[in-house]
Amino acid sequence: MILTQIILVLFIGGFLAWRIELQRPQSARWISLIAIVFSFVLLISFANDNHEIFYQYVQISQLPWITKFGIHYAMGIDSLSFILIALTLFLGLVCVLVSWQEITENIGFYYFNLMASIAGIVGVFCATDLFLFFFFWEVMLLPMTALIAIWGHEHRHYAAIKFFIFTQVSSLLMLFAIIALALINLQHTGVWSFDYFVLQKLSIDSQTEYYLMLGFFIAFAVKLPSFPFHTWLPDAHTQAPTAGSVLLAGVLLKTGAYGLIRFVLGLFPEASLEFANIAVWLAVISILYGAKLAFAQTDFKRLVAYSSISHMGFVMLALFSFEQVAYHGALLVIVAHGLSSAALFTMAGMMYSRLHSRDLSTMGGLFSSAPRMGGMLLAFVAAAFGLPGLVNFVGEFLSLTGAFKVYPLQVILAAIGLIGSAIYGMYLFQQSFQGKVQHQIIDLDTRELFICSSLLLLLLLFGLFPELILNHFQEYSMSYDLISNDVISHDLLNSLSTSQTYVELLS
Amino acid sequence: MSSFELLAISPQLIISLAIVLQMLLIAFKRSTYLIQSFTLASILLAIASSVFTLPALNSQITLLFYLDGFSFSVMNSVLFCSAIVVLVSGNYLKISHEVHDEYYLLVMLVTLGALILSISDHFASVFLGLELLSISLVGLVGYLRDRRQTLEASFKYLILSATASSILLLGMAMLYAYSGDMSFNSIEPHYVSSAYIDSVAVEPGKDFKFLAQAGSILLLVGIAFKLSLAPFHFWTPDVYQGAPAPVTMLLATVSKIAMFTVLIKFWFISNQYLDQTMLSVISIIAVLSMLVGNLLALKQNNIKRLLAYSSIAHMGYLLIILPVISEVSIELAKQSALFYITAYALATLILFTFICETSKSNQSTDFDDCHNWQGLFWLSPIQASAIVFALLSLAGIPLTIGFIGKFYLITSALTNQSWLLLASLVTGSAIGLYYYLRIIFIIFSQPVNRESSSQESEISINSSLSHVLLFSLTLLLLALGIYPDLYIFI
Repeated sequence: MILTQIILVLFIGGFLAWRIELQRPQSARWISLIAIVFSFVLLISFANDNHEIFYQYVQISQLPWITKFGIHYAMGIDSLSFILIALTLFLGLVCVLVSWQEITENIGFYYFNLMASIAGIVGVFCATDLFLFFFFWEVMLLPMTALIAIWGHEHRHYAAIKFFIFTQVSSLLMLFAIIALALINLQHTGVWSFDYFVLQKLSIDSQTEYYLMLGFFIAFAVKLPSFPFHTWLPDAHTQAPTAGSVLLAGVLLKTGAYGLIRFVLGLFPEASLEFANIAVWLAVISILYGAKLAFAQTDFKRLVAYSSISHMGFVMLALFSFEQVAYHGALLVIVAHGLSSAALFTMAGMMYSRLHSRDLSTMGGLFSSAPRMGGMLLAFVAAAFGLPGLVNFVGEFLSLTGAFKVYPLQVILAAIGLIGSAIYGMYLFQQSFQGKVQHQIIDLDTRELFICSSLLLLLLLFGLFPELILNHFQEYSMSYDLISNDVISHDLLNSLSTSQTYVELLS
Repeated sequence: MSSFELLAISPQLIISLAIVLQMLLIAFKRSTYLIQSFTLASILLAIASSVFTLPALNSQITLLFYLDGFSFSVMNSVLFCSAIVVLVSGNYLKISHEVHDEYYLLVMLVTLGALILSISDHFASVFLGLELLSISLVGLVGYLRDRRQTLEASFKYLILSATASSILLLGMAMLYAYSGDMSFNSIEPHYVSSAYIDSVAVEPGKDFKFLAQAGSILLLVGIAFKLSLAPFHFWTPDVYQGAPAPVTMLLATVSKIAMFTVLIKFWFISNQYLDQTMLSVISIIAVLSMLVGNLLALKQNNIKRLLAYSSIAHMGYLLIILPVISEVSIELAKQSALFYITAYALATLILFTFICETSKSNQSTDFDDCHNWQGLFWLSPIQASAIVFALLSLAGIPLTIGFIGKFYLITSALTNQSWLLLASLVTGSAIGLYYYLRIIFIIFSQPVNRESSSQESEISINSSLSHVLLFSLTLLLLALGIYPDLYIFI
């Protein structure tokens, strides 16, 4: 029940923050902070006591929910979920800290929404029942939409509606696929089940499998986002309040990647393999197109938003190459982009609170008055364009190296995106902090410095020691092989993940 | 009639008796409060008496009625909705000096009509229930005769519902000419039960088959009028807007539920789903309703009008369950319809309860412009949350019963592989999200500074009864959405 406890702590913490703020102003942020720290401690202590979650998919709780359809309240965790939950909670802390002084209206309700969406996202990473997964997948959107629509910038209603409709419609397709999957299971076995592990064993004819896979793929491609489903992202990111952007870019996009790994590749391996060529091309287009559009922006947050599209393209490219190395690269990119885009949006928020503008053309020469801020921004921009030593570099390098074996042409094209990211990264820095002095601003205060340096520290730490993340996956997949007995002996590289059999198929 | 049969229709009997007593009560003592409590008490008694009908499940009661689990649930939903309408009517009508005896009498007649419809499986009982329902509704729609819109709405409803009834009658006549029997289950010759077979002993020829088809289509058209399905929906927005808010509530819940029950019975008992022509007719109506309803709702600023268009779309969604490919999936289809219509009714009840409580019968219009709701969340968070949840439920978002309802519909449609209907469901919901969200955003936006304090008081509810009502309805909406096992199919 530990995962339920984490979600409940977050949700109830948010609710208390809302109610108590009405009585005692200024208390909401402390309550939220304490709730997130508490759930973080719960997670770490649980992982400390139960090392097996790093070796296999452990089911934590399973309670009957909707008996008519055999739906269970089922939660599970493995190393992938663990890392993403930890990332969510860490960025949750960042979100609370960046909202510390930014939000001045309806503070209590703001923290309630923030905490509710964090709770929903944690739920998405834990659910092992497909219906429950969909439930959380939808529920996390509601508070997120509220964050954009109530505390966003000038075009917030338009952005919120667009965000909501895009994700809703795409997830309706996923709902069709989920129900169809359960119906096929019903035909085969005679019982209703939405359980991930049951449905994974199902054998479906390839035509149907392809369509079902597409239903899931579209939902996750919208979230990721991938070309051509990306148009909601620049609006939502730009209009959201800082914490909303951090949460959107940092974790919400990762639910798309998580879905691709867990459901598209996990439930429909053959169909994914068939579809891989198209997916890889979509990824390449996303990388190049995102980079190109990022360069053309004059709005700070819009630029970062388009760069997200570009970076998430690497994840998709890596995942659909079915290569072990690339898969590891994708995981690192997920973490790296979570941290670095959160950092960039945090910077954007800090600059907006000082300048009341996100327009790059009105900025310039800020370095002289705010050297610490400039230094931090330079570091984060460097992380975004993949400076060696920071984790983004390792991730993108591994993704491209891994995928090169299978898709040489596409990887060469994608690599051009790296140059693009360097160009728009430097453009961003140059426009804002260099050139003629246009504004005098206050440098980072202690709280802001703390946020930035902790993000930078993590980027550096994982950049220098990526094994901290990857080790779990090695152990995980080795023992996975032992359990499943699919393949008895392997060399280490080939045995690293669930997709190993499809590597053989390809070669 | 045996005592068994009498017990089986005890809710209907209690309501009929109550109507007679109501008239006596009016002669005896005219008091709005008294008649309201009496009406409420008799509806509650009717709900309680439904326990006695349980032993008679799945049995034919005289020639006219057939009681099954579906009818049983529908009966209870109808009574529940009527009870809520009676409850909220009190405050709405309180302002004017008149004593509103006739109002409650008419509400009871509507309820009786709906109850008869929900168990009937014979043309005679259908027509009886239908006319009882429509004629009393005409009276109710035009009840606040000082309002200009109300009169217009009443006339529209009168004329169009009379037209619909005559089309329905024509359809029934044709079907009778074909089968020689007025019972639903004798329309399809191979499905006739042996009791009525002598009249159709002769194998009908091709012309007669055509007669049956035309009859079925006319009957469908008549029902579609009442359900306000596109392209027979033109009366809906005007009547919804013009009628007094509690009457709109009655129209949107009780009358829709009862009519849909008739459609379901007609469709499944007389095996219409086997007929390809009927299938394509129903598909066209469904797709049109989903698209037309949602598209026209986009630009509405009047909440009642908007709900009228959205109800067209919702009735369209409900038609998704009708095309079934095998007899096995009929049960699932019926359950889906039941659950979805409960979800729809619950959300509608919440929205109209709020509209009723904020508007008064002595004003020229109801308080239903969506800009009046601006900033409601910051003024009275609990009521606003109730509305937001109701709207989310209509949009089919999880946590609310509407999502589970949609889940049922999709499951049923996927079982029957109706791809076209599913595709228009996706399109329809996408459009629908836009206008539901628009209202939700208005509720969440910053409140306007009202210059006069009198206007301020208008927006919030004063009576504690409606607080309780809104709160408990919302609780029910969420409870069924989070734990749908609470809903028991009989």
